[in-house]
Amino acid sequence: MASVTLRGIRKDFGRTQVIKGIDLAIEDKEFVVFVGPSGCGKSTLLRLIAGLEDATAGDILIGGRTVNTVAPKDRNIAMVFQNYALYPPMTVARNLGFGLRAARLPAAEIDRRVNEAAAMLGLETLLARRPGELSGGQRQRVAMGRALVRDPQVFLFDEPLSNLDAQLRNQVRTEIKKLHQQIRTTAIYVTHDQVEAMTLADRIVLLRDGRIEQVGTPTDLFERPANRFVAGFIGSPAMNFFPARLDGAEIVLPWMRLPCPPFATAPTDGRITLGIRPEDFLAGTDTHAVPEACRFEAQVGVVEPMGSESLLVINAAGTDIQVRLIGRAFPQTGSTLGFAVNPAELHVFDAATGNTLRR
Amino acid sequence: MQGWFSGLTLARKQAVWAWVFLAVPLAFFTLVRFWPALDAFALSLSRWNLVGPRKYVGLANYERMAADPVFWQVLGNTFEYLLLGLPASLLLAFLVAFHLDRIQTGQGLLRALYFLPHLTTATAMAWVWRWFYQPPPVGLLNAWLTALGFAQQPFLRSTTQALPAVLVPAIWAALGFQVVIFMAGLKAIPRSYYEAAEIDGAGSWQILREITLPLLLPSLVFLFITTSIGLLRIFDLVYNITAGGEGGPLNATKPLVLSIYQSAFGRMDMGYASAQTVVLFVILLALSLLQMRLLRSRP
Repeated sequence: MASVTLRGIRKDFGRTQVIKGIDLAIEDKEFVVFVGPSGCGKSTLLRLIAGLEDATAGDILIGGRTVNTVAPKDRNIAMVFQNYALYPPMTVARNLGFGLRAARLPAAEIDRRVNEAAAMLGLETLLARRPGELSGGQRQRVAMGRALVRDPQVFLFDEPLSNLDAQLRNQVRTEIKKLHQQIRTTAIYVTHDQVEAMTLADRIVLLRDGRIEQVGTPTDLFERPANRFVAGFIGSPAMNFFPARLDGAEIVLPWMRLPCPPFATAPTDGRITLGIRPEDFLAGTDTHAVPEACRFEAQVGVVEPMGSESLLVINAAGTDIQVRLIGRAFPQTGSTLGFAVNPAELHVFDAATGNTLRR
Repeated sequence: MQGWFSGLTLARKQAVWAWVFLAVPLAFFTLVRFWPALDAFALSLSRWNLVGPRKYVGLANYERMAADPVFWQVLGNTFEYLLLGLPASLLLAFLVAFHLDRIQTGQGLLRALYFLPHLTTATAMAWVWRWFYQPPPVGLLNAWLTALGFAQQPFLRSTTQALPAVLVPAIWAALGFQVVIFMAGLKAIPRSYYEAAEIDGAGSWQILREITLPLLLPSLVFLFITTSIGLLRIFDLVYNITAGGEGGPLNATKPLVLSIYQSAFGRMDMGYASAQTVVLFVILLALSLLQMRLLRSRP
């Protein structure tokens, strides 16, 4: 059990700056997810914590101890790799016990811990197999087992689900969450998938271009994105963004004027970007729940029924808007319909900087 | 042709065309390779001097071979080349490849330099090494030995040193190819295996024994077989490095292929040469079958 602290971490590969100064405190027992688009430095950051790369500047502390010059094996960490890194010539049992053999533990102790981990992950019947004879999901579990037997202070996961198909991914994601609830060890998990980040994390660290964009709980990032990038990255389908203007207490859009939420501070030139999530639109009679000013008419362009919900692209005064309607009913393509915006869920960003105007 | 050909399925049409193109080289190889090779078996049961009539003699050539001390010496030499050369050569190649794989700068240049002997004519190489091994003041190695205060060595003139002395350039010549194969094998091992092992705290010996070598097995088996066959067929180096191609002092360096060559084209004894060839064939066949088994039993 240990906290992980990063202080002023920078990492250059030659002339390329990959990590441009990161400060972060991860609490003991916390499940933190590093998420961001490819090339944002999330994997590099994980490898720095693992000790597979040396930081160009800054300090890494694990359990209060500075580990900058400590070898990976002495950092008390375990890592699950994207390709699982299971050794093909070895059986599952030998793969699981590899690190324990390296630590020269007595054979009986190795057996005990291997069997314990195998039982925890449901691998008992697979111990004599080789990785080549396992399915993707089973390999993934063996990789987790190999990390588990080491009884580490910190678990590191490097995109562990990206080699699995969509259905299996959901299943293993749940297993990982269950496992963490069971063993309560500090975990750092890297992914490019915002759904994984949202579902697994106690706290999400959203990275872009070697810097932290925002740190917070999934709800924080979803409901109070710090900037336009975070707002667009978190949530699927992605948030709609509209260039707009502040006019006193009103937000002016080409097709409507909305009452400005009280939490916004005005930029000097009045130019803003208004963000509205697809699910924060209402349609038909539901619109009666919001004030008159929040309603508008639009033409339904595309309808994608998905059973319990439907995705629409609607057009208001020449602007395409993505809308997600809950429920089994959906409007006709080409029809003109009344829509409304939920005024409590408006996201207002400075058009120039992209930062939120929320106080 | 139009009629029956157009009635065939697409796959069959492709097969017909493939055989049409294969027929020419196949006929050629049958004429110059397969037929003489098969004929060698018949020839081994005959006496023939290349021009006169062939005379069937049954197993006489094999009986003669069994009673010939030179044949047994030559067979012993052949296996000595193999048993000394194979481990030395593979170990050296692995060590070079393993360390070359770890350096970044100059890797390409060094690999090219190691590969260079592979592109060199064996004859040219043999004559250069022959010069190295000469007694002083001509020979380079003896000149160095004397300069450093060591005793001179007879090298090619000694019955015990001559065979290892021939083996050294053979190993050197094969090194480049083996290094390239080993390096390709090493590069194919994903980095994450080593990283996982690093986090697990495995020592370099455990990593080598449990990860690198097992994953290198296909390359190792391939080189084991090709190097073995190469060493069992050693000829041109020996022929050129020993004066007049007679096979060293008291046949000390003479391998089977050189003996076959001498029987066939020195003494025009085709029957006896063919009998020895059949023996070599059986050895090579056994080795190739072993390779197939090793490769198939791989997990």
